[in-house]
Amino acid sequence: MTKIILKFKDKVLKEIPVEKELITVGRKPDNDIEIDNLAVSGHHARIFKMEDWFLIEDLNSLNGTFVNGKMIQESPLKNGDEILIGKHVLKFISTDVSTTREPEAVLKKGEASETMVIDSKVQQEMLAQISKDRSITSSGEVMGRITILEGSTDQKEYDLMERMTSIGKESSAKIRLKGFFAPKFAAFVNRSKEGYFISPASGKELRVNGEVVSGKYRLQDGDIIQVAGIKMDFNIKE
Amino acid sequence: MRLIVQGKTDKGLVRKENEDAFCIEKDLALLAIADGMGGHASGEVASKMAIEVLTDSLKKEGEPLPQRLYSGIKLANRTIYETAQSRAELNGMGTTLTALQLDGNRLNIAHVGDSRAYLIRGGVIEQITDDHTIVSEEVAQGRMTREEAARSDMRNILSRALGIGPEVEVDIEELTVSEGDQFVLCSDGLSELVSEDEILLEVRSSKGPEIACGELVNLANQRGGNDNITVIVAHLRGENLLLRLLKFLGLIRR
Repeated sequence: MTKIILKFKDKVLKEIPVEKELITVGRKPDNDIEIDNLAVSGHHARIFKMEDWFLIEDLNSLNGTFVNGKMIQESPLKNGDEILIGKHVLKFISTDVSTTREPEAVLKKGEASETMVIDSKVQQEMLAQISKDRSITSSGEVMGRITILEGSTDQKEYDLMERMTSIGKESSAKIRLKGFFAPKFAAFVNRSKEGYFISPASGKELRVNGEVVSGKYRLQDGDIIQVAGIKMDFNIKE
Repeated sequence: MRLIVQGKTDKGLVRKENEDAFCIEKDLALLAIADGMGGHASGEVASKMAIEVLTDSLKKEGEPLPQRLYSGIKLANRTIYETAQSRAELNGMGTTLTALQLDGNRLNIAHVGDSRAYLIRGGVIEQITDDHTIVSEEVAQGRMTREEAARSDMRNILSRALGIGPEVEVDIEELTVSEGDQFVLCSDGLSELVSEDEILLEVRSSKGPEIACGELVNLANQRGGNDNITVIVAHLRGENLLLRLLKFLGLIRR
């Protein structure tokens, strides 16, 4: 549970549960926490979640943002921290953020929209986390396989090893359709790190489990695919 | 098959420097794009260095091409990292690098960072690189939706880049290609402002790569041009008719 208690001169004005990854604070009404006071800038600060901690960032406000009396540009938040914005205090209450470990100062800041890389220590931690996650989800390489159930193709089984597997009559199509009326391209299977996605070639009717698919569809183990008179089965194998 | 290709880079409307770099090496059938980052224009140093080291290593024959591409990028990483370590003003510089290399009917894809490569085929556009950003890792793990990722303030934060550490993990992929395929490489200055469907429409409707590149850069600038914009558009064509006829007649040796 994470919440922010908005106080003015020791009087509690509001309790705001933090249910989003990003909370904005400022004078203007489009902020999540609106503080109608001239000491507060229009878009004064934001509080956002990263990994398992929250950070506060001052958005170049006129009067600055203070955490426990210290002026900050960006700072991690701990349970019980008091954020001073203008004359208002936001008390940060969270039972979710770890109190034992203090995150390192985090981002190398640039202009908005600038490409950034995180400081090496934090990056290494995050990357370690990511690669740990990856090894959990894919113990051993995951490989997609298509088995032809009906229709005329050059093989019965195809392992989806390339970045993209095309289905059609064209020479670059791995799943090669036969027959005079077969289309050059019928559909494409894209293997991204999120999984296998199938999409129909322009103007072709593609069905997955009987339903028409118009855009990109994320294939699940056991899906039945129908396109250009071919019926096939998609499987994931480890 | 021949590659009709054109590239364009533009610093956009907001930045003072252009830290993007690209190359089109016809002899190597190599297309590459790099988007540098770091203070004091060091991003420019990193992106140029990435392209140069990669091109040089591809010129050295020996290993098969995919391996050369792979080791070239590894070498680029080390070169940038060591340069950054040895010179204070270059400390912390880094770059993305996305390269396509055509080898007969095989396309080798090598990639680190959030620049992108797309394949246009059968009227459809498909991204053939994965973004190495924290948010896209989150999406891949199912902890964030694509929509949340697109809106996230952290979408510019890379999970991988060249020059940041002594080693880097490089994505290497292969693809079988044929006549009629089109490729687009771009930096995030384009992909942040122009959707993939718009890229598809522009590349398919324009008369050639040069016009498509110009139109895409213009579109990004019309929408604010808040970052450097770089784009390469390539069409894979069959040999032209005259050449084919001459070969057929046996007048040119294959």
